[in-house]
Amino acid sequence: MGELTATHFLLLSAALFITGMMGVLTRRNVLVIFMSVELMVNAVNVSFVGFAWEQNSMIGQTFALFVIGIAAAEAVLGLGIVMALSRRADTVDVAEVTELRD
Amino acid sequence: MKDLLFLIPLLPLLAAVINSLFGRWLLRDLAGPIATVSVIGSWVVSLLVFIDQLGSDQPLTQHLYTWIPAGDFQIPVTLHVDHLTAVMLMVVTTVGSLVHIYSNGYLAGDTGFYRFFTYLPLFIFSMLILVLANNYLLLFFAWEGVGLCSYLLIGYYFKRTSATKAANKAFIVNRIGDVGFGIGIMLIFVKTGSMVFSEVFAQIPSVAGSTVTLIGILLFIGATGKSAQLPLFVWLPDAMEGPTPVSALIHAATMVTAGIYMIARSFPIYIATDDARLIISIVGVATAFMAGTIAVTQFDIKRVIAYSTVSQLGFMAFALGVGAWIPAIFHLVTHAFFKGLLFLGSGSVIHGMHEEQDMRRMGGLKKYMPITYWTFLIAAAANAGLIPLAGFWSKDEIIVGAWIDHSYIIMVVGLIAAFFTSLYMFRVVFLTFHGKERFDPNVIHPHESPRLMTIPLILLAIPAAVIGFIGFPPEDGWIHRFLSPNFTLDGAHEAAIASLNAVEGAAEHHVSLATTLTLGGISTLIALAGLWITYMAYIKKSPAFDPNMWAARFGGLYTFVSRKWMFDELYENLIVHPLYLFSVFLWRIVDAGIIDGAVNGVAGVVGFTSGRLRRVQTGFVANYALAIALGAVVIVGAYFVFASNLFS
Amino acid sequence: MTPEVLVFDILAVIAIIAGIGVVVSRNPVHSAVALVVTFVNLAGIFVMLRAEFLAAVQIIVYTGAILVLVLFVIMLVDMDDLPEFHGGAPLQRLSAIVIGLILLGEVAAAVVTRTVVGQPGPWNEETIAAAGGNVQVLGQFLYSGYVLPIQAVAIVLLVGTIGALVMARPDEITTRTRGRTTGTISLGHSRGADLVALPSGAPTARVIHREDMRDGLVMVTSADAYTEQAAWAGTDVPSEPGAAEYPTGAGIGSEENR
Repeated sequence: MGELTATHFLLLSAALFITGMMGVLTRRNVLVIFMSVELMVNAVNVSFVGFAWEQNSMIGQTFALFVIGIAAAEAVLGLGIVMALSRRADTVDVAEVTELRD
Repeated sequence: MKDLLFLIPLLPLLAAVINSLFGRWLLRDLAGPIATVSVIGSWVVSLLVFIDQLGSDQPLTQHLYTWIPAGDFQIPVTLHVDHLTAVMLMVVTTVGSLVHIYSNGYLAGDTGFYRFFTYLPLFIFSMLILVLANNYLLLFFAWEGVGLCSYLLIGYYFKRTSATKAANKAFIVNRIGDVGFGIGIMLIFVKTGSMVFSEVFAQIPSVAGSTVTLIGILLFIGATGKSAQLPLFVWLPDAMEGPTPVSALIHAATMVTAGIYMIARSFPIYIATDDARLIISIVGVATAFMAGTIAVTQFDIKRVIAYSTVSQLGFMAFALGVGAWIPAIFHLVTHAFFKGLLFLGSGSVIHGMHEEQDMRRMGGLKKYMPITYWTFLIAAAANAGLIPLAGFWSKDEIIVGAWIDHSYIIMVVGLIAAFFTSLYMFRVVFLTFHGKERFDPNVIHPHESPRLMTIPLILLAIPAAVIGFIGFPPEDGWIHRFLSPNFTLDGAHEAAIASLNAVEGAAEHHVSLATTLTLGGISTLIALAGLWITYMAYIKKSPAFDPNMWAARFGGLYTFVSRKWMFDELYENLIVHPLYLFSVFLWRIVDAGIIDGAVNGVAGVVGFTSGRLRRVQTGFVANYALAIALGAVVIVGAYFVFASNLFS
Repeated sequence: MTPEVLVFDILAVIAIIAGIGVVVSRNPVHSAVALVVTFVNLAGIFVMLRAEFLAAVQIIVYTGAILVLVLFVIMLVDMDDLPEFHGGAPLQRLSAIVIGLILLGEVAAAVVTRTVVGQPGPWNEETIAAAGGNVQVLGQFLYSGYVLPIQAVAIVLLVGTIGALVMARPDEITTRTRGRTTGTISLGHSRGADLVALPSGAPTARVIHREDMRDGLVMVTSADAYTEQAAWAGTDVPSEPGAAEYPTGAGIGSEENR
């Protein structure tokens, strides 16, 4: 504590990332999983911008911008898949969709 | 002349190859004449060679090629003819040609006709190579060749289980003898550095006496298998499963004499060792005695003659053992003719009786088959040793040889065996051809055999009767002079041997005329005694000589003898059955249990593991994500431990 | 404790609590709302990090577009109360939590003990202000050196749009190419229709034609008949019950049935 250093931001980023990861691993509702993934992406964004601030560089912010753009596209397609899945399997529970099972 | 030597074995080989390739569909019944003509061709060339050798003392040699050129180990394929070989050639090709002619009639109409005439010339080829070889390895090759052909021919009627078993037995028992023979040959090479006869014999004086004895014994073990001596004779009676011409050729005249020939050829080795020769003579006379006793109790006509062969081979071996070299070969020659004739005659009887072989169901065939009867009678008398037929001269010389060698016990046992010979031989004649028919002539119509079969019988009867005169006068006949170069040692050799206390060679075989006449008289008396006893028993049917009464009197002994001295049972229980159990053990426990178990076990382990591992694939995506996260943790941790300065 | 640290702490704590709320909420709408809270707080943090443009973009794009899309999908998809909170797969949860904590520890260790390599860049506060502010600097930066990635992102967005259109097409098109051609009702399964007592002598499989199904409806009375070859052979039989035979003809997978 004391001065604001990049360590603070990195720890925040780590915490958010882990939280999102546990959501992905634990929840069964595919939409909640999707939102957890968005949480992880945002945590990474924080990390990028934190480094950029510490190093007086613009590259981090540029990258974060691209990440947001790609995340948008991914959201569209991912949610389209969710809708198709729900139509097909009549459920949004990933535990029901076990066709990869031996 | 020496350039024509290769024709002798080549002609039968060509016939065998042609018949094997084209015999089944193309040649069919022509296979017989092709084989016969080829063997007759061999006979012609052998005759030319023999005539050449009659006039000269020079051996003929023709080198064909080198079979194994391997530095110090050189094995040439060289055909070598000296007097001994010339005699053997004549025997083999003469009896061979007559058997071929006979077989054309005996096997006419058989479905395997071409197959028979593939194997028979192949056998002749192997036998000819055997007598023409000039080195031990080539002889061994031909030795195995005749064994193979014997197997093929005994098992000719392969659809009969008994025939295939007999063929197996012959081959396996031969192979047991061949182990000894093979080791003996290797020992010869190790000690003398060569396998060629002349080189080996030159080296023998420099080899230690005990080694020479060992070599002699090992070579004799081979002869025991091939020439049916005491422990390994069991295959010969069973070999009667083959067609009768096969028995006549192989088991009377040629293959079984290969052992005798081989020992005679190895004369320089045996002359240098008393102990080996003692063993040979004991084994030989024991064989002669034992087989003679068994032959008296058998009822199958071919079996009697088979045991007679074993007995006569015992005589030949015992002759070699006591140092009567030339009488042994002499007996080989005479035996070939009269035994071959006996087999062919019995074949004629069987053919005429429509495949009946048991003498108890024959009788009185004299009037149905006169030619067969008379030729058979001549051969039987020759075998029994009635003067002036062939067998008398040769067998008598063997007895004299035992006397000279001071082996009196062996001589007496030999005389007893000769008594049994006469006994069983005339028993066969009287049971088969004399007396009343013991069958219904309206059901079985016995007839004389076709000319193709009776002409060889007549042709063989002539030498069976008169060939004894090549050995007349005794000890000084034509054959003695002809074969003596083979059985004398040259000066240096003899001196070296004499220093080892060996017996004299055949050249110093002198005995007084009185002894010869006495022993000849004793042999004739013994043969006549046998004739008289069987006459009383089977023709006059005198009650004192009733065979059934005598059999009952001897009870257990009779059973023991008629069961072939229980040799088959002995081998079965001692050797065959334990081996069988051992191989079942190997099969069940080692092969199916351990080896298959290991392989199956590996598969089982793989199956089990994969059965467990497949539970990783739950189909539940969150599990897969968990695995990814776990991997990430592990990698980061590894990075920390190894690549960062956190724990360093 | 400078004011910046205090502000940062407040924003961070709320963001983390909202993040935990995303993961833990039973109702997905609650999760979406918690995510909105997180995003707004993160936007505040971006402002603290002198990335004002990014903060604006975060709110406009993420909360304004993506989360709204998520809420729409939650509305369109019919979801029941999933059994995930009724105690399923405890091992999965436990191991997830353990792994998460371990990873958190590892990353924290890495962060705390990190060393910086390389030289800092030129864009500190004065130079940014001198160049006209964050937006100008970012714009210059992007369009001078990163034009190609911008085009790539544009293509990705275009592809995403087209993909969304494709996936949103109505059902008839997809079923025409590879949908089921027969419908089956198995009376042998307890999850099917109520068990109907068929008259004895009724065949174990019947085909009934309906307009909306290409090859009709096959009715079977037992699970075994469901798998027999004859039940799948599709030729015409009258749609009256009791009208006798097994259908015969080509089996499944043949040309006729395609």
